[in-house]
Amino acid sequence: MPSIAALTLALSTRQLTALSPIDIVVLVLYFVLVLFIGFYVKGATKTSEEFFLAGRQMTAWIAGLSFVSANLGSLELMGWAGAAYQYGILATHWYWIGAIPAMLFLGIVMMPFYYISKTHSVPGYLKLRFGEGARGVSAVSFALMTILMSGVNMYSMALVMKVVLGWNISFSIWVGAVTVAIYVMLGGLRSAIINEVLQFVLIWAGAALIPILGLMETGGWQNLKAQIAANVGSDDYTHLWRTLGHFRENPMGVHWTGIVLGLGFVISFGYWTTDFLVVQRVLSANNLRSAKMAPIIGSMFKMAVPLIVIVPGLLALTVLRNPDGSLMHLVGEDIAAATGQHSYNEVLPLMLIRYCGPGLLGLGITALVAGFMSGMAGNVSAFSTVWTYDLYGAYMKKNAPDSHYVAMGRWSTIVGMLVSVGTAYLVAHAASIMDYVQALFSFFIAPLFGTVVLGMLWKRATGAGGFWGLLAGTMASISMWGWVKSDSSALRYIALSSDAQPMAENLYRALWSFLICVSVTWIVSMMTEPKPEKQLAGLVYGATPLPDDGAKTIWQKPIFWACVVFVIFLVLNLIFW
Amino acid sequence: MAEGTGRGERFSIWFFVGILPLLYGLILVPYGIYEAMGHEAPTALHHLHPTLWWGLLLLLFGTFYVVRFRPGKD
Repeated sequence: MPSIAALTLALSTRQLTALSPIDIVVLVLYFVLVLFIGFYVKGATKTSEEFFLAGRQMTAWIAGLSFVSANLGSLELMGWAGAAYQYGILATHWYWIGAIPAMLFLGIVMMPFYYISKTHSVPGYLKLRFGEGARGVSAVSFALMTILMSGVNMYSMALVMKVVLGWNISFSIWVGAVTVAIYVMLGGLRSAIINEVLQFVLIWAGAALIPILGLMETGGWQNLKAQIAANVGSDDYTHLWRTLGHFRENPMGVHWTGIVLGLGFVISFGYWTTDFLVVQRVLSANNLRSAKMAPIIGSMFKMAVPLIVIVPGLLALTVLRNPDGSLMHLVGEDIAAATGQHSYNEVLPLMLIRYCGPGLLGLGITALVAGFMSGMAGNVSAFSTVWTYDLYGAYMKKNAPDSHYVAMGRWSTIVGMLVSVGTAYLVAHAASIMDYVQALFSFFIAPLFGTVVLGMLWKRATGAGGFWGLLAGTMASISMWGWVKSDSSALRYIALSSDAQPMAENLYRALWSFLICVSVTWIVSMMTEPKPEKQLAGLVYGATPLPDDGAKTIWQKPIFWACVVFVIFLVLNLIFW
Repeated sequence: MAEGTGRGERFSIWFFVGILPLLYGLILVPYGIYEAMGHEAPTALHHLHPTLWWGLLLLLFGTFYVVRFRPGKD
């Protein structure tokens, strides 16, 4: 593994381009505006409800765009473009089956419980439903995960700036960290949400030109498919489902059961319905109908994101050329550092440079920076909330004045960013950013989904069941990860196939940890005393009269729009089958 | 109240959404015209003048949102 210094040296010899003055103006304008927004909304961020939940004043569109934008960080833009180059259109599963059904489920089934329980956080819901133990496990694991994720975003941004522009890694890390810390510390969730909406628009403004020009250059989608098939020697790269019958038949080495059950059910539902980073955006909605509509609106935009992430990765398989005109072959990070070739994660910058001259290049770089900072801000604002409400307020200082918790929220933002900076330097040693994050997801998210969904849908689940189920699922996930790390042949037992590749391992590990969590929760619950039903009001399906969301016409009903989105989702999967 | 920015504030969140594309459009359109006059960067498909057209699109998008959600309109 190269040290940070060695990595920096290796990358500095192959800087891709440089910014012109007009690009710098574009980038600086963005930084000026986000800092202005932080100072501007500071005056409207005085109570804890305003700081941590944006005063619960956001409309469905704002909450929905923020919901999807908080997830559109560095990994989305860089990692999945690289994954599309490496694995083909299969990477789209992480946007469609790996997101859309879960987002709709959140809006229609789960949001009413989160919203009417008036919880400030997902661990807060677990406290109401299962008691302190489950909240403690969830809050600690979530705080850890958000800090790690924030660090991943930070490092990714620094690496992009290094590779593309030759900027010093530490300079980029600190500029990003300080900017995000200032605007989140001043404006809390409100500031983060405004910037996320802005960043979502910017990401499209900066990145949409790549697929448009790329498809014009290749002569359209059908020609692109033909060219990819000719270049890689098969048409496996452009089919979503056709190659998933066996681990050996697709570039990713996965099976459809892993995609449908591991990704489409456990990881996706876990992430989109219980990861407080995204759920927090929806909790900021101004009424129940907005809270239900926000994930549905977010899902519409989520379905379109592959255009700016996956399509550039596929285009790169045909349009990227070496100076001598031969087809460029991208490689993994380790090989790239050793040979000087470009890595998978450089797909997006390489495509940007191919099509964008001065001005547009600045816009594209600004879009990337916006995406990275969006990821950082999302994580640090969620961390600040969980730390203040579910760790500090729950275990260290109960019943303090509201202003004390707001001050703690601001301070924890700064401390959280500092820990993230430390994490960013640690991540520099990770071989693959994508695998690292996938591992994190299955450590915490999959078992948490098991606990939350049983808590919401099964009245018989008890506090002890929730706590031990969550703990057992999380420990099982970490153990499986450690097992495969120490003995790679163990993968065959976890994925149930000797042909499985690392991506399959993540999917099946999530599935097993979910099943272990659910099993332990069920067994322990059946052995322990259930809560009286009246204590479950507002928390569990069947014990709660669901309030009317105020929709009068079919056009106002969230369920109608959820059906529309689901039909589009099905049609898209059939088109690219 | 301005949508999304909190009590007592004048600027709607959608105003901020418009102002940045508007500024970018104002930068890119003149530069795109300059490029179209024979100063194109050697990028793929530069003959299509992407800077000019994309700048124009951003200018229109930004103008719409800035005018539609300008402070004091409500």
